[in-house]
Amino acid sequence: MANLFLVCDASNIGSFNRLTRHRVPGALPFGAKYRLIDFTLSNCKNSNITNVAIFPYGNYRSLSDHIGSGDRWDLNRRKDGIFILPPKNLNLSIEDSLSFQRMYEHLEYFNRSTQEYVIVSPANLVWNVDYQVLLHDHLVHSADITEVVSAEHKRMRTYVLSKSRLLEYITNYDTIPYRNLTEVFDYAQNLKKHPYHFEQACFFPNSAFELYQANMQLLNQEIRAQLFRKDRPIFSKETMSAPSRYGDDAKIKNSIVASGAVVDGTVINSIIGRKTFIHKDAVVKNSIVMNQCHVEPDSIVEYALLDKETRILAKAKVIGNLDQLFVSEKKQIVISGEDLKVLQITAECNPFVKTGGLADIVGSLAENYSELGVSSSVMMPLYPRIKDKYKLFIEIRADQIIAYGDDKYKTTLYSYNNQNVNYYFIESYDFFDRDDIYGYEDDGDRFAFFSKAALAFLDVFDDLPDIIHIHDWHMGLVPLIIKENEHLKSIRTLMTIHNIEYQGVHEGTIYDRLGIHHNGNHHRINFMEVGLNNATKISTVSETYKEELKYEYYSKNLVEVINRRDRDFYGIINGLSDDIGPNRDLTIKEKYNLMNVFGAKPKNKSDLQKRMSLSEGNDYFVIGMVTRIVEQKGFDILLPALEQVLANEKIQFVILGAGDERYVRWLESIKQRHPTQVALNIGYDATEPSYIYAGADAFLMPSRYEPCGTSQMIALKYGTIPIVRQTGGLNDTVDAFDGITKRGNGFKFFNYDYRDLVFQIENAFKIFTDAKEDWRQMIINAMNSRFWQKDSANAYIDLYRSMLT
Amino acid sequence: MKKALVAMILVGGQGSRLKEITRDTAKPAVSFGAKYRLIDFTLSNIANSKIDVVGVVTQYEPYDLMSYIGAGASWDLDIVDGGISFLTPFSSQGGITWQKGTADAIKQYFRFVREFSADYVLILSGDQIYKMDYQKVFEHHLTHNAQLTICATRVPESEASRFGIIEVDDSDYLTSFEEKPEKPNANLASMGIYLFNTDVLERLLSDTETEVDFGNNIIPKAIKDKYCVSVYEFNDYWKDVGTIDSLYQAHMDMIDDPDFLTLNVSSNLPVYSKSLNLPPHLILANAKVTDSIIADGSIIDGEIRHSSIGYETIVESGAIVEDSVILPGVKISKGAKLRNVIVNRNTLIPEKYICLSEKVILIDRTNLDVKGENHG
Repeated sequence: MANLFLVCDASNIGSFNRLTRHRVPGALPFGAKYRLIDFTLSNCKNSNITNVAIFPYGNYRSLSDHIGSGDRWDLNRRKDGIFILPPKNLNLSIEDSLSFQRMYEHLEYFNRSTQEYVIVSPANLVWNVDYQVLLHDHLVHSADITEVVSAEHKRMRTYVLSKSRLLEYITNYDTIPYRNLTEVFDYAQNLKKHPYHFEQACFFPNSAFELYQANMQLLNQEIRAQLFRKDRPIFSKETMSAPSRYGDDAKIKNSIVASGAVVDGTVINSIIGRKTFIHKDAVVKNSIVMNQCHVEPDSIVEYALLDKETRILAKAKVIGNLDQLFVSEKKQIVISGEDLKVLQITAECNPFVKTGGLADIVGSLAENYSELGVSSSVMMPLYPRIKDKYKLFIEIRADQIIAYGDDKYKTTLYSYNNQNVNYYFIESYDFFDRDDIYGYEDDGDRFAFFSKAALAFLDVFDDLPDIIHIHDWHMGLVPLIIKENEHLKSIRTLMTIHNIEYQGVHEGTIYDRLGIHHNGNHHRINFMEVGLNNATKISTVSETYKEELKYEYYSKNLVEVINRRDRDFYGIINGLSDDIGPNRDLTIKEKYNLMNVFGAKPKNKSDLQKRMSLSEGNDYFVIGMVTRIVEQKGFDILLPALEQVLANEKIQFVILGAGDERYVRWLESIKQRHPTQVALNIGYDATEPSYIYAGADAFLMPSRYEPCGTSQMIALKYGTIPIVRQTGGLNDTVDAFDGITKRGNGFKFFNYDYRDLVFQIENAFKIFTDAKEDWRQMIINAMNSRFWQKDSANAYIDLYRSMLT
Repeated sequence: MKKALVAMILVGGQGSRLKEITRDTAKPAVSFGAKYRLIDFTLSNIANSKIDVVGVVTQYEPYDLMSYIGAGASWDLDIVDGGISFLTPFSSQGGITWQKGTADAIKQYFRFVREFSADYVLILSGDQIYKMDYQKVFEHHLTHNAQLTICATRVPESEASRFGIIEVDDSDYLTSFEEKPEKPNANLASMGIYLFNTDVLERLLSDTETEVDFGNNIIPKAIKDKYCVSVYEFNDYWKDVGTIDSLYQAHMDMIDDPDFLTLNVSSNLPVYSKSLNLPPHLILANAKVTDSIIADGSIIDGEIRHSSIGYETIVESGAIVEDSVILPGVKISKGAKLRNVIVNRNTLIPEKYICLSEKVILIDRTNLDVKGENHG
């Protein structure tokens, strides 16, 4: 028996999106018949490791179901064996890798393990390795900690160390500055760190695309030979299935087919899972089809990753591409999507009227849908400012008298078609003939009335929309009104939460004015809550924010509703307009792109320093912020952190924004003490923040919460390195830079604690000053980050499609 | 531990009519349907019928079979108070008790039945392909108040002389039985599946000596002694695989019927087999595969038509396999052409080897040169 035990990190969720809704990444199907974790467990068996602990996060039923007693890997032992150690404290949110705090919850396990050395390794690693060789190498180099690096210089997040050292980190988790072994390896001083180079095939899929790529690599004979060796076989749970069966019309090339599959169509360059049916005249190319899927006659599947039990109905086409795979959800039914009709009902939409980011998102989705072949419409109130500007374009379509409360109101529907998007405007003198969009005492009535009127006008059209997509609280009553109306019942609704802080709480009498009979508390009506309760599915603007909203800390009074609707809850990140970027920005000193960034950025920086009267010089580390100055944006930790880091005279800080007086006053006092290091531009002028994006070296967003966030995306596009808290969309758009592999586009910290922020600012400063090559690489990585609005639109379309069945 | 019913599987026969296929293996361990062994069907039926005590009576080449079955975990038969027991010939004071005939084996191990104080004994055969719920036989037995129930199925009249032929009255009671009649006048054939009241079986066995066989001795004696014998008629697919031809035919039945024994329907009484832990099979760029079944671990770069390809088989490019049964572990080299053959396990078919047979033949490493032309 080995003097080694293994801690399997199944706690990260990666960015697999809908693939990990029902499972942790380790339980993802792979290579037609395996699950990712089979490789780790088989490696244990083949290395004579008999003590394995798995730390899962979230929905680990599928993982534990797959592992069973562990007998497939000889881990059903009397002494030692396999242990699944779930989180005890459900208030700990998800982290990138297994934290010492999580391990501390199961300290007993570590104390009880008798082996002297431990390997900590992720569950979603595909490789065939003898762990004894790792240990041997660790000992030969008398290392304190060894990390495995792949032939492509990717970090495998696999560590070898002594149990006593690990125990030291675990028991001191709340006093040491490292949350996990990756941070130890990156930051700890006075440690002998040894990278072990693993030269064989090795995949560490962390996204749907990487999972796809790793699968496709199995078609390469060389790779297969390295992963599936006679002397070290990969074991998996066996489910009984018949041999694969091929029909009269089967055409198959370059593919892997698991048992129980039935192929009567065309299959090329694909991986076909167990008990999957490819029917006659169906075509599957360059795709991964997991277990028990049905691809029905005359359908086409290309560049797709179909999760278990997906049905592609007859004649449906799912065609992705390498940039954007089609990814289905478990048990999804995919219909032919050509005639999908989507209507967004909204309070604002770019370019007609805009108060914030919502208008941009609605507008860009509407345009992208029509480009992607979806019938796209938008319905919104006709505000006077729209009528003034578009009076020559909009045409009257219909009039209606709408009853609301005891009164009847005349309303008029206008329409305008632009670039194949149908925009509808509803005019009502009583409710919308006002200068502003929001901020009136009767906002509840205004949007309740609008919701009713909008749905009443649907009768004007030949076909009802398939999907109505509503945003934030304003249209929260739409799903309820649809439910109450027999005629509209076929319509599916999606409600997107952009910010859960604004819920639209109004008088309960609105129910009566709408004529809706409602049991329960009539005193108040919470528009957002009604929407969340009644929409077919709900979503929010990033995967991480979606996870966070499961905790009361983030979702407050709506935590129960959110958790009840968990299975219908999705996270889709917003895109950034292609028009934003330093290449077209006429307001900055010198335009730039990847070709000339290293020449142009210093010029923009000195322009910034000059404009803001800071000491000039390229060796200063300029940190910028463009923000509302409010609690949410992290000012409670930012200000103490600033006090500390500004002791370093090489650090400069620029902020543009407006907001809470108390924070502004504190900022001013900091400025007084560091006049050449700090520049304030208070009074938010949103049209001119570009000089900061272009001139700063780093961009700070220590937000307490951030549903999606736009500024960090803009900063990345400008090659300005974000330092962010690991929350919401910040977590999904910023990848921590990794000095070993030179990947990553920014810096992240987890705890809402100023010391952690200080640590990352100083870390960034160190790389900026001492590792200039790394900094340049990070700028390249940042500018290459991808936030396409089309990706976001495609993700919504996939979600709409999954709602239709 | 008291059990109402125990099952005993007879696997004793040498299976000499399967020629080289049974050279190193007992008949029930013969491969079938690309990934199965014959015994899988009977063991799966037992598991699906919720019977948890099984005696496997074996004497010929038991090693392969025993190591295949192991503790029976693949069929959920690794049970604390029961499960699978191997009843092999043993040496006693009277010398090695080599079993004489099918029923004699049961007689030797009657204490196995007593150990579980079973009231009923189900006698099965280990080399048949079918899916049956034995609980239905049990119910039939009880509702007919029978002392012996014989399972029977309709066979083509041309084949009837290979079986014990049965006639029944309107209430499913047996009226006549003739073992392998030269001129059969009925086509209801005994499947070699019997359900006995334990005391009746014990009495029938104790009255006989020397060669004892169910078809030749026990059943005729039960009729003669006027025991109440009922017949359970089974109407689904059933194949007794005793010859090269019937083994081939059963494979073709499986290939031609997409719903063969509902094997591809996951929820319907699964047929279990032992996991071999093989990777999925791989189809390469030059391959053409139609009308065929292929098991795990195979790599196909040639042309496969209307054939069964056992696990871990390699078919190289340019090779053509048609209307054939390839047992596991075979390599078919470049340019080889095969038709109407069964290729025995682990046979290496050399490059450009040609065997296009009119009637079904078995190819084995020992007869490669006799059966085909070697152009390699």
